[in-house]
Amino acid sequence: MTDKDVIVAEGVVKTYDDSGVPVHAVRGIDYTLSKGEFTAIIGPSGSGKTTFLNVLAGLDTPTEGKVWLSGKLISDMSGRELSDFRRDHIGFIFQAYNLFPVLTVEENVEYVMLLQGVPPEERHERVLSILEKVGIAEYAGRLPMQLSGGQQQRVAVARAMVSRPSLVIADEPTANLDSKTSGALLDMMRQLNEDTGMTFLFSTHDEIVMRRARKIVIIRDGKIDGKASSEEIQ
Amino acid sequence: MLLKLAWRNVFRQKRRTILTLLTMTGGFFLSSLSIGWMDGSYSSIIMFFTNNRTGQIQVHHEGYLEDPSIYSTVNDYQAVGAFLDSIPGVRSWAPRTYSGALLAVRPRGAGSGNVFSNSAAASVIGIDPVMEEAATDFSDRIVIGEMLSASAADSSYSATGQIILGKELSIILEASVGDSLVMLSQAADGSSADRMYVIRGIVSTGNTDIDRNTCYITLSDAQILFALEGKVHEIAVMTHSLGTVDRLTGEISTALSEKDLETDSWKTFAKEFYNGMKADEASLKVTIFVIVLVAAMGVLNTILMMVLERRREFGVMKALGTRPGFIIRMIVLEANIMGIISVIAGGILSTAGLLLLSSHGLVMDPPLSYGGTVFREMIASITPECYWIPAICVIITATTVSFLPALKAAHTKAAKTLRTV
Ligand SMILES: Nc1ncnc2c1ncn2[C@@H]1O[C@H](COP(=O)(O)OP(=O)(O)O)[C@@H](O)[C@H]1O
Ligand SMILES: [Mg+2]
Repeated sequence: MTDKDVIVAEGVVKTYDDSGVPVHAVRGIDYTLSKGEFTAIIGPSGSGKTTFLNVLAGLDTPTEGKVWLSGKLISDMSGRELSDFRRDHIGFIFQAYNLFPVLTVEENVEYVMLLQGVPPEERHERVLSILEKVGIAEYAGRLPMQLSGGQQQRVAVARAMVSRPSLVIADEPTANLDSKTSGALLDMMRQLNEDTGMTFLFSTHDEIVMRRARKIVIIRDGKIDGKASSEEIQ
Repeated sequence: MLLKLAWRNVFRQKRRTILTLLTMTGGFFLSSLSIGWMDGSYSSIIMFFTNNRTGQIQVHHEGYLEDPSIYSTVNDYQAVGAFLDSIPGVRSWAPRTYSGALLAVRPRGAGSGNVFSNSAAASVIGIDPVMEEAATDFSDRIVIGEMLSASAADSSYSATGQIILGKELSIILEASVGDSLVMLSQAADGSSADRMYVIRGIVSTGNTDIDRNTCYITLSDAQILFALEGKVHEIAVMTHSLGTVDRLTGEISTALSEKDLETDSWKTFAKEFYNGMKADEASLKVTIFVIVLVAAMGVLNTILMMVLERRREFGVMKALGTRPGFIIRMIVLEANIMGIISVIAGGILSTAGLLLLSSHGLVMDPPLSYGGTVFREMIASITPECYWIPAICVIITATTVSFLPALKAAHTKAAKTLRTV
């Protein structure tokens, strides 16, 4: 493992117990993600993309194997430690936006920094600057339901990045968006990746998204079935 | 942030929140009114009962209450009375003698011979008309005729005395005001006591058991007839307010115990009545408990639905690294925001309700009966208990009822709830 590795996963296995029946969602994956990558995990539905991302993000514990994130072994961290680790090191973008409906755009973006105890002036500055970058500064005072899906997902991107995590994880971020909006969102995310050097890892089975990824990892039946670089995709 | 989140969450499901607020406010209102009303009726029943006859405190010779013998007397009662007058908080006192006698009526126009018609055994209570007037509302309860005259012009043994009969006793004796009767008994010195009386009034105390077998003569008559010069059996003490009774009883008791006198409060000498009150207080507690329980179920239902509906949100909060304690505090705070709003609304409503009940009273139908005394109208009193007891119930309910759902929400599994497929 080097300093440049954001994620190192070794022999990750995740087996669910579906009322007594074992479901082998991830069947042994070794994987390394380096700093500044903009990588898509692709694969058919049910191939284990969400499960694998959840294990990498510390939302779920692997049945077997080890996961290091920013050099920390997270696969055997306790609940509270893991929770604080997620807060400080991982930004999440969900398929269904999942903004807090009672908080304004600004407050949604501010939320994680509040948990981190960032002082108010700094919070305010960082919120404004990130909203500027994702292009929705003018909607700062609105509630999520007053925004379109694409706009909400931009807020989600802002919320994921504002706490300056080591990694932004996005599970099918465009699944609820039309192709034009999806393309625009991905262009924006890639621009942010290039400008800030932030590492992105997302799952998708959307052509539009794949074309914009710099690296692609193919998962089939819970195993890595191939890798490709952006040049190979073109 | 916590407060902002909780506050906005409370008002996102307006209809449900309003229903919950109504439940809690209703619970507050009902328990507040029950307390005020019961408090008010307790003190008015107790004051009515004790002012009517017994007083709030009584002084007797040691052991008189267990064994009311004619020989068991308070000697030199004037000295005891003077002491009582010196105690602040004592409104007045009334001396009494108790004895038994046989009454035989001599109908009007029966001539001078010993012609008697109906007779009955009765308790004879000797009362001081002036002191009694100051202490109790006995004279207000005379339904026919008049109170015994204070000057009792001639109380020599041979003269005819005045007597007041209980209403039911007068019916048994078929006697009315102006009729004469003879009283036969035994005096404290063992001599026989008999004397002629003219009926001066008929009294209805509201307690038919007493009115069936009691008659009243003046204290001086009684002292002469029963050879009790300067002595009485009981001193009934009236206080200004019920709240001071226990303290005053202790104070008087300490001062008088060396004279072989015993001082008791109404809780002791009217034990049956007191126990009835306590039983009622217990049923009030049950009533309030039921009200709180019903309100708690409503609130629990709301919180459970809310926690269920917002599972995904809790999942997101957990994913973003929110600690369980934050989520627990948020939900308990939400319940308590509703609680506090209900306490304020309930407080305002209850004040209005209590003011109405305390100025107009509630007509009892059927009338309430305590220790033979009948009450037809009850008035509420506004005490601090009307507010702080329901308020504490509401806040405790909100907190306990929201805690378990909050705990459940706080341990939402992010990976599970966020799955979309
Ligand atoms: N909680 C669970 N219990 C049982 N089986 C599960 C659970 N979550 C996912 N699975 C199964 O694991 C497999 C992988 O699912 P998932 O990781 O969601 O794949 P993808 O995201 O690629 O569609 C699927 O067969 C799915 O049905
Ligand atoms: Mg998936």
